[in-house]
Amino acid sequence: MRYEIRVDGEMSHTMTEAFPELESVVAPGQTVLSGQIADEVQLYGLLTRFQSLGLHVVEMRRLHE
Amino acid sequence: MRRPRLVERLTLGMQVPVTLVNGPAGAGKTLLVADWIAMEESPSRPAWLTVETEDNAPGVFWTYVLEAMRRLGLGPPDTVGSPARPGEVDHSLLARLAAHLGELTEPVVLVLDEFDRVAGSTEIADELEFVLRHVGEGLRLVLISRTEPLLPLHRYRAAGQVTDIRGADLAFRQEETAELLNRHGMHLSDRGVRALTERTGGWAAGLRLCILAAQRAEDPDIFLKNFEAGQSTLADFLLAEVLDTQSAETQDLMVRSSILEQIHPDLANALTGRDDAHPILAGLRRANAFVGPVGHSWYRLHPLFAEILRVHLRVRCPGLEPELHRRAARWLSEAGRFAEALPHAAAGGDWERTSHQFVEELAIGQLLTGLDAERLDRLFSQMPPATPGPAADLVRTARHLTRHDVDRGLDHLRRAEDNLHYDGPPSAALRLSCAELRVLAARMTGAADLAEAAAQDVEAARRAVPAERLEAHPELRALMLTDLGSAQLWAGRFDAARSTLSAAVRLHDGPHTAFPRHECLSRLALIDFLRGWPDRAERHAREAVAEAERGGLPPATRTGVAQLVLAAVALDRDELTAAHANLDQAAASTAAAHDPIVLAGLSLLRSRLLLAKGNPEGALHVLDELEEPHAVAEPSPWVSDRTALTMAGAHLAAGRPEVATEILGKDRAAGPESVVAAARARLAVGAVEEALELLGSLPGGPEDGPAITTRVLLARAQAADALGDSSAAERLTARALSTARPARLRRPFVEAGPWLRHLVRRRPELTRGHDWLPPALLGHTRVPHAHDTGPGLLTEPLSGREHEVLERLAQTMSTEDIAADLHLSVNTVKTHLKNIYRKLAATRRSEAVRHARELRLL
Repeated sequence: MRYEIRVDGEMSHTMTEAFPELESVVAPGQTVLSGQIADEVQLYGLLTRFQSLGLHVVEMRRLHE
Repeated sequence: MRRPRLVERLTLGMQVPVTLVNGPAGAGKTLLVADWIAMEESPSRPAWLTVETEDNAPGVFWTYVLEAMRRLGLGPPDTVGSPARPGEVDHSLLARLAAHLGELTEPVVLVLDEFDRVAGSTEIADELEFVLRHVGEGLRLVLISRTEPLLPLHRYRAAGQVTDIRGADLAFRQEETAELLNRHGMHLSDRGVRALTERTGGWAAGLRLCILAAQRAEDPDIFLKNFEAGQSTLADFLLAEVLDTQSAETQDLMVRSSILEQIHPDLANALTGRDDAHPILAGLRRANAFVGPVGHSWYRLHPLFAEILRVHLRVRCPGLEPELHRRAARWLSEAGRFAEALPHAAAGGDWERTSHQFVEELAIGQLLTGLDAERLDRLFSQMPPATPGPAADLVRTARHLTRHDVDRGLDHLRRAEDNLHYDGPPSAALRLSCAELRVLAARMTGAADLAEAAAQDVEAARRAVPAERLEAHPELRALMLTDLGSAQLWAGRFDAARSTLSAAVRLHDGPHTAFPRHECLSRLALIDFLRGWPDRAERHAREAVAEAERGGLPPATRTGVAQLVLAAVALDRDELTAAHANLDQAAASTAAAHDPIVLAGLSLLRSRLLLAKGNPEGALHVLDELEEPHAVAEPSPWVSDRTALTMAGAHLAAGRPEVATEILGKDRAAGPESVVAAARARLAVGAVEEALELLGSLPGGPEDGPAITTRVLLARAQAADALGDSSAAERLTARALSTARPARLRRPFVEAGPWLRHLVRRRPELTRGHDWLPPALLGHTRVPHAHDTGPGLLTEPLSGREHEVLERLAQTMSTEDIAADLHLSVNTVKTHLKNIYRKLAATRRSEAVRHARELRLL
């Protein structure tokens, strides 16, 4: 399953390193991360990581391949 | 900074049971509640617990909750108890806690900070909910959490029973931002304040970092302007800004320490390889940046910053993490903090050293009992099979044995013993740990000789260890004595077992020794019972149950032996319902599947219960499996005796005294009860002389309790009766009755046979003053002739359908009504009635019902 997650604010290069499994694109005022997510466990794990790093998820969606 | 609008809400919140302070990391939740307490706005000094990730085991969680309350002097008293296991906590403990809190004049305020760390545990949520439901007005719960707890909040909310302070409430408003800036000597225009509040979303941590960065910037105004205009994510940008203004040493220390839950300056030095951690950490604390003190010179990084700093560590020093974890593991295990060291050992892959240190610190018993057991077990589960050294094998042994995997446990134990000299001559701690596990393994295989030999090795090794180190591990002695005593008990060495187990009970008690104590008391109860002392057995069994409750052990985790003994005592008293209930509880114990004593005890008692209910064939059937040799354990002499005894009793009741004799003849060295049974089997075929000879051979020591003496006296009375010596029969029966009275041992009389009833009918004054006897034996009820093979016995059991008919008969329903009620034809019911009358030796309805009541079929 491929997911796209939008985070509020422009993430620094260092911070994107915390998500090596995702590709990141910095847009004005937002960062878009996307990548393959194996299952729900990984998905919830990712969301927890965003939260613990003080990042605000504003949108999350599953991409159709 | 004071936030009156929120403090007020907390104070108002005290009128309802639950207050939730929810918000993202760094929203200022903890500060707010701490401030509220400092302002003494809270009704009483609250119990505060900062929850750790490890606490998501309910037993650990409640231990700390109780400790937090006790620290305040709010009780709860010792009678409430403390959990002895990390897992599920028995509700009886929580009920005692709730009852205690409910009785206080003022409610106790309990603050649980960082509750999100255990938010995934449904058990803890259920248990909190249970306490809240039973505590009345006695508890005010304040939960500080990043996520919503699993409590049934919708219900609380609908009932107006919860105060919510959420992220939006916690966000700084413009005037609050202005005040914060003022306090730091910064003054911004209204527009500037509004922009900053908007840019940070009122996020407290963001504002604080922002002010710190601005203060350290060359031109604070320009910094703030740039920041407002920027679009970066807040935390990571601000942290990087602030970090950059620190000295290189400070940055290095902070980044490296990010792998730690808590930082000690010496531990930080171990990570940096320098010696400047004391002043750096003190300085950071004074600046109120990043770290806060947690007491005893330990510090704690703000969790949000720790996460971000860890990202920095990976980027700045790629590949360094494992090495840092190894250093932390080493430092922590040398400080004896294994629970904290092991996750680092896992992350650093340094298992050999960690297991070595674990054994050297005498911590092996903590894998077997106490609150850390499951956590340590889980951590060691990551140890790869290739980790060498005797210590690693001892850890594996302990883990297999706690899983009842005796074969694999023994494999590793042998490997450890072969490699004892792996690192040169083995240390005392290594020898001690190895011998301890040998005692446990011997217990599990029922090998008393091996257990005793290993116990001597334990003693020898203990002499080489300093006393204060041994005192720090009371569980080692408690476990060794429990295991040794259990092995001795299995082998029938009752005196040795009793003194070993009593010594264990006398040891200092605490959560680490609660389970061994419970086991020892249960086993002492069993010895009392086997020696014929039901009253003492009951007392010990009740103490064992009380100990388990004090330790919050749910029934499934108890040994089951105490319940077995209670069932056996109830059976001796002919209280079959109570016996049944206790037996079911014993069977529900998880030990029932592994402990040979419980397995044997369950079969024996089930069999005796069936016999008592008049089903000798069923009783024999239950014993079939006991005859199979146990897969692991050596046979136990008294279990074989008891099996033979019970089988013989069933055959005797079924009218096959020759079979009974044959069975008992196989084991001539058996105990007094088997001799009595053999004598009764001889009496049943009229071989009175042989019976007397058997009974005469009984030594009858002072160790034999009333349950044994009563049976011996009754058998002698029966022999005298058979010889026609009625005065001796009466004298012996009278002695048997007075021996049995204090413990109300009805069973021996109920199963004595028809001669006793005839005797009592002839001499009713014999049972005068013995109202405790069942009515059938008191001489005033005529017992149906058909049961002269033994009272309480049916020659042919009732079928299920017949039982249903009988029940309705007892409700004085007519034959037609019974037929309608059971959807049967009237003729079928009549057939059932005929069979019931025949089986109950009755000619009329009322007689059938009366006999059924006497036989307790109703």
